[in-house]
Amino acid sequence: MAVRVAEEWLTICGGCEVSILDIGEPLIDVLALLEFVHMPVLMDHKYYGQTGEGTVLEIPEADVGMISGGVRNEKEKHVTEAMRAQCETLIALGSCACFGGIPAMANMYSLDDLYSKVYRESPTTEPAEVPSGTVPSLLDRVYAIDEVVPVDLYIPGCPMNPGMIAEALTSLIDETPFELAERSVCDECPVKRERKSGEPIERPLQDAQFDLDGPLENMRCLMEQGILCLGPVTRAGCARTREAGAPKVPRCIQGYMPCRGCFGPIRMDANPLVDMMGALSSNGLDVRQVLDRRATFNRYIGARNRLRPLPSRPAR
Amino acid sequence: MAKTITIAPVTRIEGHAKVTINLDDAGNVADTYVNVVELRGFEKFCVGRPVEELPRIVTSICGVCPWSHHLASAKANDAIFGVEPPPTGRKLRELCNAVAFTEEHILHFFFLAGPDYVMGPDADYSIRNVLGILQADRELGRRVVRARHLGSRMLGILSGKSIHPVTAVPGGFSKPLAERDRDRLASMAQEVLDFAKFAIGYAKEEIFPNYAEEIRDLGTIETGFLGTVAEDGSLDLYDGRLRLMKPDGTAEDFAYDQYDDVIVEHVEPWSYLKFPYIRAWGEFSMDIDRPVGIYRTNTLARLNVADRISTPLAQAELEAYRKAFGRPVQQTLRYNHARLIELLYNAELAVQLLEDPAITGRDTRVPVTPRAARGVGCVEAPRGTLIHDYQTDDEGMVTDVNLIVGTTHNNAPINMSVNQAAKRLISAGVYDETILNKIEMAIRAYDPCLSCATHNLDGTIALTVKIVARDGGTIANLSNVGPLRERNEEEARPR
Amino acid sequence: MSEANGFEPKIIAFCCNWCSYAGADLAGTSRLQYPPNVRIVRVMCSGMVHPNLIIDTLTKGADGVILCGCHPGDCHYLDGNLTAQKRAEAIDLMLEDFGLEPERFRLEWISASEGPRFAQVMTEMVESIKGIGPSPYVRRSD
Repeated sequence: MAVRVAEEWLTICGGCEVSILDIGEPLIDVLALLEFVHMPVLMDHKYYGQTGEGTVLEIPEADVGMISGGVRNEKEKHVTEAMRAQCETLIALGSCACFGGIPAMANMYSLDDLYSKVYRESPTTEPAEVPSGTVPSLLDRVYAIDEVVPVDLYIPGCPMNPGMIAEALTSLIDETPFELAERSVCDECPVKRERKSGEPIERPLQDAQFDLDGPLENMRCLMEQGILCLGPVTRAGCARTREAGAPKVPRCIQGYMPCRGCFGPIRMDANPLVDMMGALSSNGLDVRQVLDRRATFNRYIGARNRLRPLPSRPAR
Repeated sequence: MAKTITIAPVTRIEGHAKVTINLDDAGNVADTYVNVVELRGFEKFCVGRPVEELPRIVTSICGVCPWSHHLASAKANDAIFGVEPPPTGRKLRELCNAVAFTEEHILHFFFLAGPDYVMGPDADYSIRNVLGILQADRELGRRVVRARHLGSRMLGILSGKSIHPVTAVPGGFSKPLAERDRDRLASMAQEVLDFAKFAIGYAKEEIFPNYAEEIRDLGTIETGFLGTVAEDGSLDLYDGRLRLMKPDGTAEDFAYDQYDDVIVEHVEPWSYLKFPYIRAWGEFSMDIDRPVGIYRTNTLARLNVADRISTPLAQAELEAYRKAFGRPVQQTLRYNHARLIELLYNAELAVQLLEDPAITGRDTRVPVTPRAARGVGCVEAPRGTLIHDYQTDDEGMVTDVNLIVGTTHNNAPINMSVNQAAKRLISAGVYDETILNKIEMAIRAYDPCLSCATHNLDGTIALTVKIVARDGGTIANLSNVGPLRERNEEEARPR
Repeated sequence: MSEANGFEPKIIAFCCNWCSYAGADLAGTSRLQYPPNVRIVRVMCSGMVHPNLIIDTLTKGADGVILCGCHPGDCHYLDGNLTAQKRAEAIDLMLEDFGLEPERFRLEWISASEGPRFAQVMTEMVESIKGIGPSPYVRRSD
């Protein structure tokens, strides 16, 4: 019997949905084993009946539920709860669902700060009251899915690796376990590491040194070149490839750019800011050269209280 | 007996919206609202970051058109640092833009809007989708999936990461193109071009003729248009001057960093999404019979403002299109036709750029030094003119950000088109699922990207089409928030 | 431990086995008085206390942390205390990132013979934390 799948998207950019399409032609074969019962991005199933006369938000029963995006407003909280109630297995798709993602950078600010920036301080906007009434009210911050309901499976990444989604779906169909490796991006990175401490850290305002014609094994580790790279504190997975013969290289490194941590921490409860600052200082590097630490190390993982407005201190 | 019809959520669009339609006592459409229910706040949390990191942060405004945000941000960075990328760096950015456009337009036409035409607007909702197309015509389905995926693989080769890219950097492009990769890309680009030729032929022969009446009438409104043109007036999606065309077809050009003299954003209490309008045209009004200040962006607008297209096949298609429908074209469903002409243009452009010997040059990036400055970056995103405007302090840390994205420009027109469509289709209180889907088709034609549009705080757009009686009674509400509104009011805000 | 009206901070002191812990011992055997707010954790070397541990301590219940090692040049493992010093720079920066006052973390060199100095440093630390109040991360049930 086909596996019934429901998919929802909350505070999203749509990248994870496109990433599912990036499975490419093999997707067509996977699709034959799945029966989609609800998926607003591609299908016309509605919440309150097809002509909107229902009064209860209705999501069909499914074997597998997938949610992308974090939870930002009341409506999304209800949808998340409805998905949990109707789905046997619930998957958090992508870093927003797993850890809040980039929208959770907003967790550094209070809701009032956000509103006044958007509706009152924007140079091209006529100052106005915050919309209300027919639009769902925002929650105080961005939540990861598992802060609202229990989650069975996490597929991190911004966006996810298509290979990993295919693997997860296949393992669900075959009823084999799917687990994330507790390994770092560096474990999959082919670049050359010369010695423990490298060049002083500088802002990435010019090119890294690399050998365009040779393999990436010829390039010296970006961190050693003095370019801050979050590989050491980021979970491996982005280097997987389904392209035949293609080398396995982390995606940003393929662009000669440093990792920024989009797969989240190596362990769910690790703190990349502290881990990385600890490692840099232990290696004798000048940690003062690392700019904008809080937002940089928590860029994709601001939910679960990792980012919040700083506690206000009494004036002294 | 006033009544409210709600469409929630609006499906097969990118993001969250609801439609509310209010019917009057006689059952006719009195009032409609397309509400956008999400807001994310990028303009707030981009402040305080090192400006060179923004091209990697703003991509998450939209995962469907991340390249547009990436490139607009890189161009704003160039302006902040006061540099011009070397010719090869610029060409690589343009190539990525062209490839991203092909992928994006295939996605919209076949996956999102297409099912209404291929399967029919009155097909059962459970098969009126790309999966239904796959069932009905497996060969077509396979071809579509492959062609879209080709674009994404090409971007993977060009930059490593095809969604949320990282390689457009201040001063150029971080990854030069190796000869061996160019050869692989050239054959892939050729395959995409073949598909583009097939797609436009298929649509012109097998799809558009069957829906002549819908295309003529559904959601048709009269507005001005905004788009980017090159120095010679031809269509340009990466760089150029902005051209603003009035409904009568007269046009004027201005530099994109002057946008704030021309465009103002209006806020309505029932939507998180703002309503931009042209300051000089008078006080904002969405009255469909007498709109004021309203202009449209995206494919229909770009083909209206451009004098010509620089690639031969697309130029020929443009000539035929103009001959049949005139200039400017106001019919909303023609967005889809215009989209396929742009698909062809971008596929041709990608082939051309890959044939250019300069594309494999090694000089792709100039180093930059932080300084205090203001920088505006502007590109044509698939959904319309995209403007990123940043300011920095002496250290190159961001002090202010203003963004106007493609779909936001179309917010008022989308609302007007829905209003027009609802009024045409619903009378005496009679409506069904097909009629409501046709109203959604008017929205889908704009290919709204509500994630982009709601970069402001959290990501949902509530589309409400409210059908209200002349005497003020609500007849029907088409909405994607619907009963939740009442639930919201019942529940105290959490925590 | 809380008094009727006063704030009694909870301070964790990581002391190296070879110098600072012996210094604490000396303070005790010399019957020197210092406030009971300090809890000592004995570690082999100040250089083995990872910043993770300090930040965890500060965000999970302590109002202040003090790390004590041998004077530079005296380290039993040659340069463990210099590593601690490097890490302390990172910890100072991270206090900012976590919205904590700089006074909540201190690095001090205390030798085995400096019993009085140990008592004095601990007294100062407790006074200073009393001055700035409880950590914003601490939720006191009592």
